[in-house]
Amino acid sequence: MIGGFAYRAAAAILILPAGGYLALFFGLPLLLAFLGGFGLFTRGAETGFTLEHYRVLFGTQAYRDGLWFSTYLAIVPTLVSLSLSLPLAVALARTHPGQKLFNMLYKVPLVVPGIVAAFIVMTMFDRGGLAARALAPIGIDLPKLVRDQWAVGVIIATAWKAVPFMTLIIGGSLGAINRDILAAARTLGAGPWATFVRIQVPLALPGITAAFLLTFIGGMGAYAVPNLLGPVYPLPLSVHMYVNAFERNNWGLVSAMGTVLSLISIMVLLAYYRATRSMRTAYGGEAR
Amino acid sequence: MTATLSATPMRAPRQPFLSSDGRWISLGLGLAFVVVLGLPLVVAVLWSLVDPRVGWFAPDVVPTSLALDHWHTALRNPTILSALGLSVGIGIAVTILTSVLALPTAYALAKLPFKMKRAVELFVLAPLIVPGIIVAVGVGAIFFRLDLVYTIPGVILVQTVGTLPFMIRILAATIEAIPGDLIAAARTLGAGPWSIARHIVIPLAWPGFIAGGLLTFVSSFEEFEKTFIIGSPFVQTLPVILWTYLGGRGIIFPNAAVVTFILLVPMLIVFFLAGRVLRDDVLASGMGKL
Amino acid sequence: MSTLHIDGVAKSFGGTTALHEVSLHVGDGEFVTLLGPSGCGKTTLMRIIAGITQPDRGSIRIDDRAIHALPPERRNIGLVFQSYALFPHMTVAANVGFGLKMRGIPRAQVAARVAAALDLVDLGALADRHPRALSGGQQQRVALARAVVIEPDVLLFDEPLSNLDAKLRDQLRDDLKILQRRLGITAIYVTHDQAEAMALADRILVMKDGRIVEEGAPVALYRQPRTRFAAEFLGQTNVIPVHLEAGQPLMPWDMVGFARTGIADRHVSLRPEDIAMTPDAEGPGEVRGVIFLGASVECRVAIGGVELRVRQSGSGVAIPEIGAPVRLAARIEPHPLAEGVHSALSVGDA
Repeated sequence: MIGGFAYRAAAAILILPAGGYLALFFGLPLLLAFLGGFGLFTRGAETGFTLEHYRVLFGTQAYRDGLWFSTYLAIVPTLVSLSLSLPLAVALARTHPGQKLFNMLYKVPLVVPGIVAAFIVMTMFDRGGLAARALAPIGIDLPKLVRDQWAVGVIIATAWKAVPFMTLIIGGSLGAINRDILAAARTLGAGPWATFVRIQVPLALPGITAAFLLTFIGGMGAYAVPNLLGPVYPLPLSVHMYVNAFERNNWGLVSAMGTVLSLISIMVLLAYYRATRSMRTAYGGEAR
Repeated sequence: MTATLSATPMRAPRQPFLSSDGRWISLGLGLAFVVVLGLPLVVAVLWSLVDPRVGWFAPDVVPTSLALDHWHTALRNPTILSALGLSVGIGIAVTILTSVLALPTAYALAKLPFKMKRAVELFVLAPLIVPGIIVAVGVGAIFFRLDLVYTIPGVILVQTVGTLPFMIRILAATIEAIPGDLIAAARTLGAGPWSIARHIVIPLAWPGFIAGGLLTFVSSFEEFEKTFIIGSPFVQTLPVILWTYLGGRGIIFPNAAVVTFILLVPMLIVFFLAGRVLRDDVLASGMGKL
Repeated sequence: MSTLHIDGVAKSFGGTTALHEVSLHVGDGEFVTLLGPSGCGKTTLMRIIAGITQPDRGSIRIDDRAIHALPPERRNIGLVFQSYALFPHMTVAANVGFGLKMRGIPRAQVAARVAAALDLVDLGALADRHPRALSGGQQQRVALARAVVIEPDVLLFDEPLSNLDAKLRDQLRDDLKILQRRLGITAIYVTHDQAEAMALADRILVMKDGRIVEEGAPVALYRQPRTRFAAEFLGQTNVIPVHLEAGQPLMPWDMVGFARTGIADRHVSLRPEDIAMTPDAEGPGEVRGVIFLGASVECRVAIGGVELRVRQSGSGVAIPEIGAPVRLAARIEPHPLAEGVHSALSVGDA
């Protein structure tokens, strides 16, 4: 029986390739970005600890609005996608004619780049797009869906990509539930809806959480789709990052923005963990 | 002998265990897919076939004149063709690199007991928690100093950062499912680490490799943000080209439509081939727990 | 006050028939076992009764109520699973109270009834634990409490003890029977273990290939099986061909078979414990194998062209050598078996 030390040594060697890689190409940039936000180790501008970048970030209207807009683009498409994915995952799991075909079809958007999704929304929903042309003869005038204040076009394009992704993960979680448990719930008097809400959703919560978080974080950092379909103002923080990095060379500000976005993601992660824990006890019933 | 006939009819009860009729589900799903997938596909095809001399303007719901001109131009355009080759090449390179880096770590996470496991798991997960653009910009800053910007290796390296977490998790989930007894048995029969990897772990983890490998290739092929920030304007993959047609100097739908198909066709082929080999539960298990 | 009537229930999966028009009736408070090898259809029948699987044909009634058209949640049937099927995200108390909650029973009452049910199975102290913190035996008790607390018309058991080790199985088996007696709930118990069936049931239904081949009370079924299948499935037996000679049915060792005559060549069932074996230098039999089982000694004896198993219990039993000559005698009259491998009797015959 090998001792703990040997395991640790073996583990260390095995983890070195990927771990070292990530440390170098992810950890280090992240660390530099974090420090850069405070003015340390940056290129361009002067170096030296400073809160100037954060002052600019929170002081400038455009950036504040951009931060709020990035958060909006993270939350709303994710919620919309979740509300579509849950029923879709359940529907796909029930036996029905063509089940195999549908289970393959719904994954197609997974292999389609986000830019193509944006392209689709452009051609269909923009002013003069297909939807507008098709509905014109009937006299229905579509509201502005692309480059509008509520970023509806962005939401549609993001959801188009996110729904299959979420459905895949949530479907996996739902499928992992032991069938006997569902049968037990039914024989104890729970109808299909009660079984879904009280048994399936709580037990599939890890998958639902994961899907939610990954989509949320993706939305937080989205660049291409909001750039193509979003309003002219406010621009999400990701676009400001790009502009400040490659056009104005203000890496300190870029780092500050990146740090703020990352912090929000982490906070949402923690909040969600806490929320789902209490949800689990709530479904437990009696004792609160 | 008992057998008093019951008053109720003896035909099969129609209510299946999980309620309503499957037919409605099929109808609903079919309709949804036609609208969400079929329609955009048709529209994209139409856009690619628009006659450049006439265009396709409102209020026409269907283009008045079709031509193959845009296809001809595109398929002869060296930029587009090289972008296709680049996308494929980078995709393969990223998949290989990711697989090689991921396997040992996945094995360690799946099979070895050690104290810092949770910390390592979180670290491996971290690239997913941090929005991609931040990773790209941060890496970009470093690559500037290393002269890796605007290079193909640079793009490969930065994309791998994003694909490693998924590959590691999927492989770890697959390897975890290999019974520890098999490895113990192999040990007692004299197999060393290399042999165990070659003869036991890799063959049995094959579904994970396929799932992870396909996911990685597809991610790389359609990846935009990191490639754009690190590679553009010298390294142009198909998504980057598509971007120039949609967000650059002006919106050119027909060109965008053609490039979309050039992007999509290999993806869909891979997808359908993968559909036969891929197992959803493997894919979902890797991504389903954070 | 619940009788269960099943008439002509049939089920096929794809090309295979799992159940061939099965009918059976269970009296109020009766404990009935469905006994048979894997694939005989017993679990399918159980799931059909519970409503988890839909039959192709047939009807199911509880008392006068037809339930085959009802979804599982409206049948008022309790089901105890082999895998326990406890809800992992709920405490023991929440698990047990779930069925009551679904019926809209007020909280205070639920708490009281849950406490009572947990006391019945001796788990009152564990009410706030989660299933993963419990042992297999404890989990099964929770599952039992959960099924009985809703006061179902019928209790169904799907091989509930298979996942437990032997000692625990016996213990729980006895507790189960006591509980059922006390509560008086009509029960159907599915198992492949014949000892379990005999220990628990008021009546055993032996199933094979989707049919009920024989049924009866444990003693009658064990001692006077009518079919060869039942004779061989319950305990061990020797199935011996009997020939007529001058109108007398003879055993292989030229002993008169049994009283009933006038019937052509038959098989009889004679259990190993019902054969007396004595050493005899001229004995027609020869010991071919000896197995010491602790409480008993089992010997294989070649006699008259057949090989029989003989079992003798008790610490004073001599352990013969292989090759020893012996004489055999039947302690009781061998039991004639019906011809044919199946005799699909319709149930209800006394």
